Amino acid sequence: MTTVTEPESVAAPFAASGVGRRVPIVSIEGLRKSFGSVEVLSGIDLDVHPGEHVVLLGPSGSGKSTVLRSINLLERPSAGSLVVDGREHATPRSSGLFAGAPRGTALQLRRTVGMVFQQFNLFGHLSALDNIVLPLRSVRRMSRRDAEERAAVELRRVGLIARAGHYPNQLSGGQQQRVAIARALALDPQVMLFDEPTSALDPELVGEVLRTMRLVAETGMTMIVVTHEIGFAREVGDLNVFLEHGKVVETGGREFYDECRSQRARDFLQAVR
Amino acid sequence: MDGPTLDWSLVWDSRQLLLDGLVVAVQVSATALALSVALGLVLALLRTSSTPLSWIAAGYINIFRGVPALVSVIWVYFGVSLAFGLTFTVFQAGVIALTLLYSAFLAEIFRSALSAVPPGLKEAGQALGLHPSRVFFSVTLPQAGKIALPNIGSMFIGMVKDTSTFTVIGLLEVVRVTQNLVSTTFQPFVLYTAAAAIYVLAAFVIDFGFRLVENLMTSPPQGRLARALRARKRARVERLIAAHSREPDEPLTPAAV
Repeated sequence: MTTVTEPESVAAPFAASGVGRRVPIVSIEGLRKSFGSVEVLSGIDLDVHPGEHVVLLGPSGSGKSTVLRSINLLERPSAGSLVVDGREHATPRSSGLFAGAPRGTALQLRRTVGMVFQQFNLFGHLSALDNIVLPLRSVRRMSRRDAEERAAVELRRVGLIARAGHYPNQLSGGQQQRVAIARALALDPQVMLFDEPTSALDPELVGEVLRTMRLVAETGMTMIVVTHEIGFAREVGDLNVFLEHGKVVETGGREFYDECRSQRARDFLQAVR
Repeated sequence: MDGPTLDWSLVWDSRQLLLDGLVVAVQVSATALALSVALGLVLALLRTSSTPLSWIAAGYINIFRGVPALVSVIWVYFGVSLAFGLTFTVFQAGVIALTLLYSAFLAEIFRSALSAVPPGLKEAGQALGLHPSRVFFSVTLPQAGKIALPNIGSMFIGMVKDTSTFTVIGLLEVVRVTQNLVSTTFQPFVLYTAAAAIYVLAAFVIDFGFRLVENLMTSPPQGRLARALRARKRARVERLIAAHSREPDEPLTPAAV
């Protein structure tokens, strides 16, 4: 009999201290971010557990993309704590489950967390296949042959193996976004961040990307999604977080879309529905 | 009264000497171009950095963009020798003089090309966990290089023409050869016109060469040369596609590879 062992996580020691509690894979406490004199995040708290699908909602300028970008340090928090996979990446906590958590580097963090961008951000000088091969070779230190094989598997998973040799400018927006999802998944992240992944797409191309995201969700991947696609959010959102002016106004589970309490969240959902 | 006759046959008779002069000019320029690209890139990075070296790079760029090639080569060939006792061959002096000037121009070309690369690409590289140097060399630089290439081609043509001033240190380039021929044939109009034609011809050839490289750097690479260079890669990708297309459609489950 083969014993399958989970990859050892630095979160494991902390699990022991929280008897009977699930240990968050992402834990944000008092996160603040300012650009000059403008404070865009004014103390965000958020715990995301393994396998959970979190949807961040809110009007433009509410800070939802900044929260997402802070989680992989594309934005450096001005204050507050950011613990991912048991490692602290901002200001250490003095109490609680993650007090004394070891410090992590930005590279460690980004090799744990995958990200999909609104503008796809595929490397234009590389084919779809090579967009996936580059990080596999550089981050995973794979041989070219193994990396190409793995990249082909990922492209098959998003239904684009026939386009492996195509360059981004030869692909539709939806196809580019699916390649971007495959590129992020190829590195076996523990958490996937989606920053408005369908906002730059023609309406008729939105469906194919949402279908791929649904499939990613079904694998049990931990996902944090910024989206205005309320139908999709209602379908996958285990935890729904409504932000405004850099603060969490309301959070809710699957019932959020029918039973949200704050008038502001109700007005927002009414407007984008 | 008859004016002086123009003996165009001199051009054909002197073709070997003139072409030898062109070869020297191109050798000096190509060596200087390689050095200028490397130095220009370093200067561009320093110029855009937030260190005090940014000011030094800015000073260098602004000074050497304004110095004429003639002065530069006199500084290098005679000045350095007088000041430091270092002696250079005329070839070395020509290369250094051109590198000093053109690295300053190329630094500005690289600076604008680097700033034209969409910041999202760098962020994507960072988000994938690539090391910052890998992000630069595998993501930012190829994109910036593609943007900078046409201007680098123009700089190379300018370098070849600027070698004409190196006649002052005795470099046997096109103009020096022409001067030598004029001194014995007294046909300056004919021979300098021939020299100009050689520079124009060189400019066409350089432009053609850079267009070939541009075609290789387009996405996807264009042209017969690109097809030949990428034949093996294309065959490998086609084999991968064929092998994976035979597999049944796989739902998005954690990959087993």
